[in-house]
Amino acid sequence: MMDFSLPVLIALLLWGTLVGLDLVSVPQGMIARPLVAGSVAGWLVGDIEAGLRIGVVLELFALDVLPVGAVRYPDYGPATVVAVALGADALGANTPWAERLGFSVALGLVLAVAGEWSLQVVRRWNARAIQRRAAALAAGESRAIRKLQYGGLLRDGLRGFTLTFLGMVIASAMKEMLHLDRQLAVALTLVAIGSALAAAVNGAFRSSGRTARLKWLAAGVGVGIILAVVA
Amino acid sequence: MNGTLRAMLRLFAVQGTWNYERMLGVGMGYAAEPLLEDLKTVDPVRHGEAVVRSAEFFNCNPNLAGLALGATARAEYEAVPGSQIVRLRTALCSPLGAMGDELFWAGLVPGLVGAALVAVVLGAGWWAIAGFLLAYNGIRLWTSYWSLRTGMASGMKVGSAINASWLPWAIERVGPAAAFTVGAAVPVVAAWYLKGFGWSVGLGAAAVAMAGVALTRWFGPTLTTVRFALAAMIFLLVLRRVNP
Repeated sequence: MMDFSLPVLIALLLWGTLVGLDLVSVPQGMIARPLVAGSVAGWLVGDIEAGLRIGVVLELFALDVLPVGAVRYPDYGPATVVAVALGADALGANTPWAERLGFSVALGLVLAVAGEWSLQVVRRWNARAIQRRAAALAAGESRAIRKLQYGGLLRDGLRGFTLTFLGMVIASAMKEMLHLDRQLAVALTLVAIGSALAAAVNGAFRSSGRTARLKWLAAGVGVGIILAVVA
Repeated sequence: MNGTLRAMLRLFAVQGTWNYERMLGVGMGYAAEPLLEDLKTVDPVRHGEAVVRSAEFFNCNPNLAGLALGATARAEYEAVPGSQIVRLRTALCSPLGAMGDELFWAGLVPGLVGAALVAVVLGAGWWAIAGFLLAYNGIRLWTSYWSLRTGMASGMKVGSAINASWLPWAIERVGPAAAFTVGAAVPVVAAWYLKGFGWSVGLGAAAVAMAGVALTRWFGPTLTTVRFALAAMIFLLVLRRVNP
């Protein structure tokens, strides 16, 4: 099992549930963004650097998501919380971040894909609940609308909780099995960083298209290079 | 708490029952309830019909849903024929979806995230994260309030009100700003991670990034960057096992 105290485990589960709810249902206040979810998770487990490092990588992946219409997209919120917990605990705070990041991000990505699937399940459950109350809706019963709404929120909350809980169980199992040599751990980290940068570039290109935004993107890259050299 | 404020608060959960049949429909019905309360005493039959209409199929960006909610609620009080209200709701889906997505999902969110990433890497830490949350939620709260008030004030003429509003102006400007900040974030973040590794490792990560961009663009939606990353990681693990 992971070496966190019970209050920390409960706080992580609660935080995972909240960020799961935030993605679509309520309040969409952007606490589900990996940068926010990861930093807070890092603070909860007492390793803010792990929270920031893992949160920033997963945030780059999230920049490739454009949640328009009925598009399907990964849920990075609970995934980030679990990834940070694994990164902070399983490999130990004394291990350099370069050896911790790859495996944590890998688990985060798998959970994000599982989160995408779980969103579809909840949406189908919502549709079934609406069908069950079709007569009440057709009769204009406000009570039926309220019940459907609370039911939908509850289902999504349960989804976030389950995702975080199962993620923590998987992370605990990974902790027992992890016997990484340094070279492989660093290689995984570099693949995670390289892929995350690819995701951010893809997202920026897709939003920019061939419009005037492309010039602004190029200008931003120029300023970024200067900042990277100076900082 | 008055009906408008309750409706606005309920709009923050407008996607609570999101599904592929009615999409935001039930959430809109839930948010409409406080606005339609007075209609119950004035015209109970009309109230029942209005509740049914309020929860029917609807989809748009959640942050601009208040425009449709306010406009249809006002139309119900003005006894506009039901068929016209349904047409108004249907007509508002696409423009409110497109404008809201451009403004928030393709503009404000990546723009603020890009700025926050640069600030975090440059050492702003929690201030960057707090600034991101405050800026986004401040703008969103104000937009929700404005949307609902504008919808309620304009009723069936909500289309003209949107055209004459700040929305088209803001959409035109937020996109380039987002492109700029995300563009700036990519090299800054890359340097932050790769600083301690040396040239060969940096080139390796750059090669992975370039392969990721090329392959995911070549294969399209079947190969997302997440799938590319997981496939590359599995390849590494297998390679290590075969060749320890």
